[in-house]
Amino acid sequence: MEKKIGVYICSGCEIGSGLDIEKLSGIATKEYKVPVCKTHPALCGEEGVGIIKNDIEAEGINTIVITACSHRVKYDVFDFGPDKIIERVNLREQVVWSHDWTKQVEVKTKDEEGNEVVNVETKPDDDIQMLAEDYIRMGIVRAKKGELPEPFIESITKNILVIGGGITGLTSAIEAAKTGYDVTIVEREQELGGYAAKLRSQIPTSAPYDQLEPMVVQSRIQEVTDNSRITVKTNTEIARISGSPGMFDVSFKPSGTKSVWDVPPKKKEEEGEEKPAEEAKTEEEPVELPADQIKCEDILASDPDAERFGAVVVAAGWRPADPTEFEHLGYGKFTNVVTNVQMEEIAARGKITRPSDGRQAKSVAFIQSPGVDGDDSDFPYCSSVTSMISLKQAKYVREDDPDAKAFILYKHMRTPGHYENFYRNIQDDEGIFLTRGEVTVIEEDSAKNLTIEVNDTILGEKITINVDMVVLATGMVPATKFEPVINLAYRQGPEFKDLELFDGYSDSNYICFPYETRRTGIYAAGCVRQTMTIGESIEDATGAALKAIQCLESANRGMAVHPRSGDISYPEFFFQRCTQCKRCTEECPFGALDDDEKGTPKPNPTRCRRCGTCMGACPERIISFKNYHIDMIGSMVKAVEVPDEDEEKYRIIAFVCENDAYPALDMAGLHHLKYSADIRFINVRCLGSVNTIWIADAMSQGFDGVLLIGCKYGDDYQCHFVKGSELCNRRMENVAETLGKLRLEPERVQQVQFSIDEYKNIPAVINKFMETMESVGFNPMKGF
Amino acid sequence: MAEGNLIKPDLEFVKRIRNSPGGESLKKCYQCATCSVVCNVTPEDKPFPRKEMLHAQWGLKEKLFANPDIWLCNQCSDCTAYCPRGAKPGEVLGAVRKLSIEHYAFPSIMGKMVGDPKYLWFLLAVPVVIFLVVLGYMGHLGIPDGEIIYAEKFVPVPAIDAIFISAALFAALGFFAGVTRYWKDLKSGVEISTNKWQKKVKGPLPIIIINTIVAFMTHKRFRKCEVTRDRADAHLFVFLGFAGLAITTTWAIVYLYGMHLESPYPWNDPMKILGSISALSLLYGIVQIITNRKKNAETAGAGGYFDWLFIMTILTIVVTGILSYALRLADIAVLAYPVYFIHLVIVFFLFAYAPFSKMAHMVYRTTALVFAKYSGREDKKYN
Repeated sequence: MEKKIGVYICSGCEIGSGLDIEKLSGIATKEYKVPVCKTHPALCGEEGVGIIKNDIEAEGINTIVITACSHRVKYDVFDFGPDKIIERVNLREQVVWSHDWTKQVEVKTKDEEGNEVVNVETKPDDDIQMLAEDYIRMGIVRAKKGELPEPFIESITKNILVIGGGITGLTSAIEAAKTGYDVTIVEREQELGGYAAKLRSQIPTSAPYDQLEPMVVQSRIQEVTDNSRITVKTNTEIARISGSPGMFDVSFKPSGTKSVWDVPPKKKEEEGEEKPAEEAKTEEEPVELPADQIKCEDILASDPDAERFGAVVVAAGWRPADPTEFEHLGYGKFTNVVTNVQMEEIAARGKITRPSDGRQAKSVAFIQSPGVDGDDSDFPYCSSVTSMISLKQAKYVREDDPDAKAFILYKHMRTPGHYENFYRNIQDDEGIFLTRGEVTVIEEDSAKNLTIEVNDTILGEKITINVDMVVLATGMVPATKFEPVINLAYRQGPEFKDLELFDGYSDSNYICFPYETRRTGIYAAGCVRQTMTIGESIEDATGAALKAIQCLESANRGMAVHPRSGDISYPEFFFQRCTQCKRCTEECPFGALDDDEKGTPKPNPTRCRRCGTCMGACPERIISFKNYHIDMIGSMVKAVEVPDEDEEKYRIIAFVCENDAYPALDMAGLHHLKYSADIRFINVRCLGSVNTIWIADAMSQGFDGVLLIGCKYGDDYQCHFVKGSELCNRRMENVAETLGKLRLEPERVQQVQFSIDEYKNIPAVINKFMETMESVGFNPMKGF
Repeated sequence: MAEGNLIKPDLEFVKRIRNSPGGESLKKCYQCATCSVVCNVTPEDKPFPRKEMLHAQWGLKEKLFANPDIWLCNQCSDCTAYCPRGAKPGEVLGAVRKLSIEHYAFPSIMGKMVGDPKYLWFLLAVPVVIFLVVLGYMGHLGIPDGEIIYAEKFVPVPAIDAIFISAALFAALGFFAGVTRYWKDLKSGVEISTNKWQKKVKGPLPIIIINTIVAFMTHKRFRKCEVTRDRADAHLFVFLGFAGLAITTTWAIVYLYGMHLESPYPWNDPMKILGSISALSLLYGIVQIITNRKKNAETAGAGGYFDWLFIMTILTIVVTGILSYALRLADIAVLAYPVYFIHLVIVFFLFAYAPFSKMAHMVYRTTALVFAKYSGREDKKYN
């Protein structure tokens, strides 16, 4: 595309009062020889937009630099079609609103008598003008270096695979099928329904949320069976899922069998730091495989019998936790101590009877917390759901015999939201006795009756109660805790990443992006994500189905799904210069790259989230996006006019994450918070995309320091690309080392973790960095 | 071996509370203790009514009964008004008190009958039959002619004395049996303070009893109620009315047997004036009680059969009493004698069934207050 650049400078919103607009247009016209440069007092108005439209028509302008407010506002007003390159220069939030554009200057004059008089006068601050001029230079360079992205489009399939035929899987399938997508449910067991089909009654799913309800799962099984869009594969497991969103090739196998299409164990040399212990064990086994082991095909091999799917919903559900570790409760030792899952089985069969003698239970105690040594915690993997299961099962006891008693001994009773009505209703039953308490010991007599000792009760004393049966409210462990479930034929391994960080729950950015996992096109729903009631699972299943559909309807347009929804750019590799270092394969937070046997990365654009972490990682700098690449940002750094040493002015370049830090800067500007004018911000897709070459460029350019502002990393990360800011931090440690070798102070390069709600701290962060700069002094490489 | 206190919830007892008027909301309590915080009459230590709610929920009958606290409650309903769950602790305690009266009733069948509307007609029939038999024996079954003289022409004084002395003895026996057992239970339920200094200050039991009654005269405790503040005055009028009528009765006995003066007496006789004022006080008090009950029905509960039976008994007594007097003066024989008959029947009803009706609160509450002082329970209290 032959670019014809037009620069449009808005002088509204105080820009005109704070800055010398004429000098600014001089930068465009004289320094950069831009063919068209116009100013307007309100560019976003009808008249201003009209001028630009007119130039597009009459002058053939196709690359437009809007020098006004942040790109985060009025993007709809300045949208001139997909065939135009638009660059925004933020003179409002980051220049005139965040700086005092005048300064008090002492002017010495002599009065008539020859005495020196000092007058204080208000003059425009040259530093602010310089700041604005640098931003215009950077904006024009960015516009020059950028190209229009073209989407990567492959023919994709639009059917959805649902793993798990429980209430969540069934609901996801029904919802997706109703929307017009073909769905396949794969269920390991013989029957559909999962745990939701093995109940007597279920926790309420509808208003007024106070009564036990008959199971709903049967009608959903029927609905699935009757729906011609839904295929059901029972007694089937997934051997592997290879490919990428829109093009997942799934190999099925009968439950409990092995297949050559099982995902092979990860090769040792490729294992990252997060190597799970189990896999390590597999590795240590001798090369000769035992008789029941099969040599599996490499992940890049293609199974001719695989079925193709566009997106996957993981609804693998939960497995019951084992309470044997709590010896004082006697589980496994006393026949009449059972788990809530066993209790549900008894209840589903008929009356509540004792396992020891089949006699109907007249008194049952439900224990919510193991309560060892004053430990306040409930059983592992317990939640509000297990609280409510105890309430429900206490009601079973009462339903079966109006003279029976149910005791609920809890440390916590959690019935959130509407479920409070359920709690009230159960509590109102005169035969259900609730008390907080710590169960210290359970004993059994010769008739297999149980005596429970409970300490610290609300009755104000240590009590003992005699019961026929004890039910332990054990937790619901996500299936992903035990096995990969998805069995991805990805170079980074078959399972979701960082499962240990989330206690085995399939990882997602829980608050902001439910359903999202670290594998694009694969969405988690139901108890694999969080312990849920049936009602909550139904809602969750619907959400995940919609995410799967969003994925299909983005992949077919070559768009990113999340979080850069709608982005059509994608990373391109200049393979001739690739050294097969595999850094991109290893570091991609989403496993988008599978390298071949030589180590050359194989990109899977539909898996990609366009964060640019690969671009930041590549030491050869062969990875680039059409509208975001190494040269573009490097040239922007070079476009800044760094003052000479004798001018005694610092220059700082800051790479700022677009997701949280850049909006925080805008908010700081909106609140007119003031900070140093010596700093220049460049927005980046993610700190993960920051290539160390930019730092080197900046240092040799004479910048005194480089500041990186991105999201929080670590266990409670807030990075939108999960690992970006963490990887950046690791790279910066290397940079600091290199700086030390060059006899430059490592403090010159710093990374700051920042979240959007901290915008008030922006001046403090910048001032602190400026203080550091003052303490280390000017960059000695200035002028070289 | 497990060493905690073995708890055996009495499910039947929970059901009985829930089936008593005022006790329906029992299970709504979730132990937030707002009730004990807002209560102005509870001791600081182990305050009520929170623990009573819990004991009631768990059906721990002995813990409830062998404790003076259920009677230390005046049912101000401050707790009920502030309860976030609508558990109405004040009303629940009312229901528990009713069951307590029933529990200590002697003979116990009387406790059940008085508390149950099914037996109302039977209980009324007893005095009706007794008085009809007396009238039949005297040949006074018709309306007598001439000047209205209840004693001479209707029920003679010796008959009245015989019947009411028997009724009073029956009641006294019932109270004695009930209170003795209650006191025993109280003593077993609480550790009695052995502080000698305390005992010296308070003196022996009779002194404590007198002190309790004197303290009661002022209705000081009752006035700490907030939601139903006006109940104290109404109750005081009723109490003073009863006290006045008791004095009047004693006075009349002196006139009759000591001075051999036959009734009727002139209106300006001092004894007659005291009687009239007491009757008016009683009337005013009971009407106030009814008005307050209606007014506070929403915040403090409307009350059940047990409450209203007692209120209506008093109302009927005072209305028929006044009417008997008025109709006699107006010389309307055809109305006067039947109204007087009803008056006698209901007075019998009140007296004979006192240990089993809400009237028993007078004795049980006093016992509990005495015990609270005696045991040191009341020492730690808000002022």
